[in-house]
Amino acid sequence: MKKTMRTMLAAAAAGVLIAGVSGSLPAQAQGVPESDESIKLALNEWTGQHITTYVAGELLKQMGYNVEYVTAGYYPQMTALTDGTIDATLEIWSSNIGEHYQKSLDSGQVVEVGDLGLAPVEAWYYPDYVAEMCPGLPDWEALKNCSELFATADTYPSGRFVDYPPDWGTTNVDRMRSLGLDYVNIPAGSEGAMVAEIESSVANRKPLIMQFWAPHWIHAVHDMTIVTLPPHEAACYDDPSWGINPNDVYDCDWERGYIKKMVWLGMKDEWPAAFRFLHEYTLTNADQEPMMKAIDVDGRDIVEVVQEWIGNNADRWKPWVDKAMM
Amino acid sequence: MAVTDTADLLERVQPLKRLGAGWSVWIVTGGLAVLLFILSGQIDWMASAPKIPVLAVADWINLFMDWFVDNFRGLFKAISWALQGPMGWLRGLLLWLPWPATVAIVAIICHAVGGWRLALFATGATLYMVVVGYWTQSMNTLALVGVAVPLALILGLSLGILGHQSARARRVIEPLLDLMQTIPTFAYLIPILLLFGFGPVVGLIASAIYAAPPMVRNVMLGLSRVPTDIVESARMSGATERQMLWWVKVPSALPTIMIGVNQTIMAALAMVIIAAVIGSSGDIGWEVLSTMRKARFGESLLAGFVIVLMAMILDRASRRAAENQGMPKIVSGNFFQRHTHLWIALGVAVVMIVLAEFFSPLRDYPKSWVFQPAEPLNNAVKWLNVTLYTVTETIRNWSFYYFLLPIRLGLENSVRPFSWGFEMTLPVKIGYAALVAAISLAAYRFMSWRVAVAVVLVAGLLYFGVTKAPWPVIILVVTVLAWRVGDWKVALFALVGMLFMLLTGVWGFSMQSVYLCGAAVLICFVVGGLLGVWAASNDRVSTFMRPINDTLQTIPLFVFLIPIVMFFSIGDFTAMLAIIAYAIVPVIRYTEHGLRNVPPDIVEAARALGCTERQVLFQVKLPLALPEIMLGLNQTVLFGLAMLVIASLVGTKGLGFLIYVALSNADFGAGAVAGLSMAFIAMITDRIIQSWSHKKKIELGLA
Repeated sequence: MKKTMRTMLAAAAAGVLIAGVSGSLPAQAQGVPESDESIKLALNEWTGQHITTYVAGELLKQMGYNVEYVTAGYYPQMTALTDGTIDATLEIWSSNIGEHYQKSLDSGQVVEVGDLGLAPVEAWYYPDYVAEMCPGLPDWEALKNCSELFATADTYPSGRFVDYPPDWGTTNVDRMRSLGLDYVNIPAGSEGAMVAEIESSVANRKPLIMQFWAPHWIHAVHDMTIVTLPPHEAACYDDPSWGINPNDVYDCDWERGYIKKMVWLGMKDEWPAAFRFLHEYTLTNADQEPMMKAIDVDGRDIVEVVQEWIGNNADRWKPWVDKAMM
Repeated sequence: MAVTDTADLLERVQPLKRLGAGWSVWIVTGGLAVLLFILSGQIDWMASAPKIPVLAVADWINLFMDWFVDNFRGLFKAISWALQGPMGWLRGLLLWLPWPATVAIVAIICHAVGGWRLALFATGATLYMVVVGYWTQSMNTLALVGVAVPLALILGLSLGILGHQSARARRVIEPLLDLMQTIPTFAYLIPILLLFGFGPVVGLIASAIYAAPPMVRNVMLGLSRVPTDIVESARMSGATERQMLWWVKVPSALPTIMIGVNQTIMAALAMVIIAAVIGSSGDIGWEVLSTMRKARFGESLLAGFVIVLMAMILDRASRRAAENQGMPKIVSGNFFQRHTHLWIALGVAVVMIVLAEFFSPLRDYPKSWVFQPAEPLNNAVKWLNVTLYTVTETIRNWSFYYFLLPIRLGLENSVRPFSWGFEMTLPVKIGYAALVAAISLAAYRFMSWRVAVAVVLVAGLLYFGVTKAPWPVIILVVTVLAWRVGDWKVALFALVGMLFMLLTGVWGFSMQSVYLCGAAVLICFVVGGLLGVWAASNDRVSTFMRPINDTLQTIPLFVFLIPIVMFFSIGDFTAMLAIIAYAIVPVIRYTEHGLRNVPPDIVEAARALGCTERQVLFQVKLPLALPEIMLGLNQTVLFGLAMLVIASLVGTKGLGFLIYVALSNADFGAGAVAGLSMAFIAMITDRIIQSWSHKKKIELGLA
């Protein structure tokens, strides 16, 4: 479908798209870019992902490509990848993928091009001062006796647990049930709501327990500790007999996963060098965290921050570009 | 005075006759309700609504959608590609023009349609966009609206004409318009996402589709109101059907059509912001949304204000243009004199473009000149959060204990020693029943039996809770209510709507929404009503409140979510406040409007009879304005439901949440079922209130 559309409209489209995307540098190597068609990179809902995407995107622009950043939901982007509506998404958390992920791989049109190199953590967090209020933390069993501490008017007498937004995919409702913890999962609607919740709780030293993740700039501003849950094992998610609750699944921690880059297979033919570049591309927590802080805490412009990183880290990205240009 | 007196008199003189009709129905209903309630304690399927759909409507819709997407996606992609061109050009043009040129052109256009004051306002507003550093984003948004509005107008005009000319088309179009206005905007986004893919064009298409209905309505209305003598004389002059339409009917319907144009522009602007959720980047909607995601209130407020200003300019300019349509134009002078504004605008643009070549800050407003007072705003919120902590915490807890939880779970489940100080023991229950009986009797004695029945219904609901009351009881009572207030058609509609929610497995979510929305609407009604009364009696208050109302209606509400979360934490209470902020406006407006439009001779007569101002208000003005106020309440219910989806960004569990999840999973079926359920709730409420208001108007001799 996409190919026929492309050949049909390519000639006319080129003009329009060039008009739409400005600022691309002249090609640095022979034959690159192989196509003037924009490479569409998916932007999801959190800042870290934006950084990952912009670093790759700005580097691709330097290589001479036209790049378009496309806002897309975490799950729908998988469908969009299968027909090249979106060409690549660069921060897929293995701990949180859902059925759309497998479906898109099964289509044969989507490939994984290696790990991003980021070490992600998804876990239950609490601000450090909460440890004094609920003795026994960070061990999860301490939470059994603290449910009233975390209770609020709307959840009393159960504790209040602030969970991920429903559309991010969370298994905490099962986890609570399986671990026998008396907490009500309150879905946060968005990253902003979660951050506001943390800010407000810390400012007033209010008890708070919630699902959160790292890398995130909030860790540069507030001290938060991870609750130690029974360690994750694959069996825990599908074998009820595994773990401390013999009759239920999810009686363990979140998976300490890794982060994958996913690419539409068609890229290989349309922009071979860009495809090789995305394969080489990596980014670490140490790269991301200062940039996150610059953007979200200091309120700086993302492109400016990313350009600065690119300017200071030529030794990091030169090899990727060189390999790609071969 | 005379009118109400007669009504009251009738009410008292003929109680027995009236009792005969309505009373017995409610006695029977009450008996049935008790029976159903007892049964639902015994029978499982009556106790809790099915969680798994009995009718897999969502799956059917998805199957159809899959087929549709597979077969027609190419077509829709081609449309989306075709629209990319004009949008890209407009965007390119707006970004290429130096900002002083654009500011000047906007001011000149505003002067042409609305005179000096509007021009001055427009200049200030556009300069604000430049100074706070959101110029590029503003121009991107303007480009989106600039393509979406003509599209919506063409779509609206053609559908409107079609509906005017063919009765069969009208029968399809009218219910479709009703549905489009009640289904929450977010639910539209899913099929558009599936058909058109991602990117800014999606937002464009969404807003064009969303903005078309007001145009359709006004075109149909305008054309149908063209005076017959004009049509007759045209026919006698031998006009063909085509000439009749374009040379006679459309020109004479123009004032009404222009009102449609105005509403379309406003709707398009509102939708452009919402569409940022699924795909756009670099426009104001995106800016508001992404600053909200970072919990940066200051920036999102400043960005949100751009939308308010843009809406105000577009609204006033297009409304003035509509008013000008009615006036005859005096055309004189040569070509240049007749188009002074055009030539001045062109001249200024050229001068600015040339100047910008030599003096670069005119081309790109320097970053160092940007004045963005976001940090003080952020700090103010933080400071207030800490300072007011005990206050906000108390408000939140009290609202939950004594207001939200009783509505949600019922007094039966929410009265606890730690909050109320006592347990719901048998004596307490008997006391409650006695109290309700006493109030109901008093209501019967001093007001009417209808009020007495209403007291019993509300008390019952409060005792059992909206989400806990067994579904057969709710369905029975609402159906009977719809029948008694309206007619059997309204009752049938209500029954079908509720069965839909029940059988598609979303009953629980629906009741969550009814509870949250109901609580918000209740507060809107009381607070908004008071504000409306105040504004009606005091011109200064009225002028003070108008811009606040305008702002609340146009500012993207994402802006307020963060501070409300800071103060009141994630959850129902925060969501309720967000809903109130948006939905309170119609009650204020309609109350004020209704009170101010009470026929002055009646008020005069009352004063002449020696009524005090208080009596005039409570016994003359309010009863006469009540039908109008109820229409405002009706709007509030619609707005509240629409806001539920946005409120789910701060964590709720009703239909809004379902739609939000469906949107992020691109699950059209689930979104459509939740959206239709919301539309049903809105339309059932709407019909009941409309019938009531209509009857009341006839009773008062106003209709």
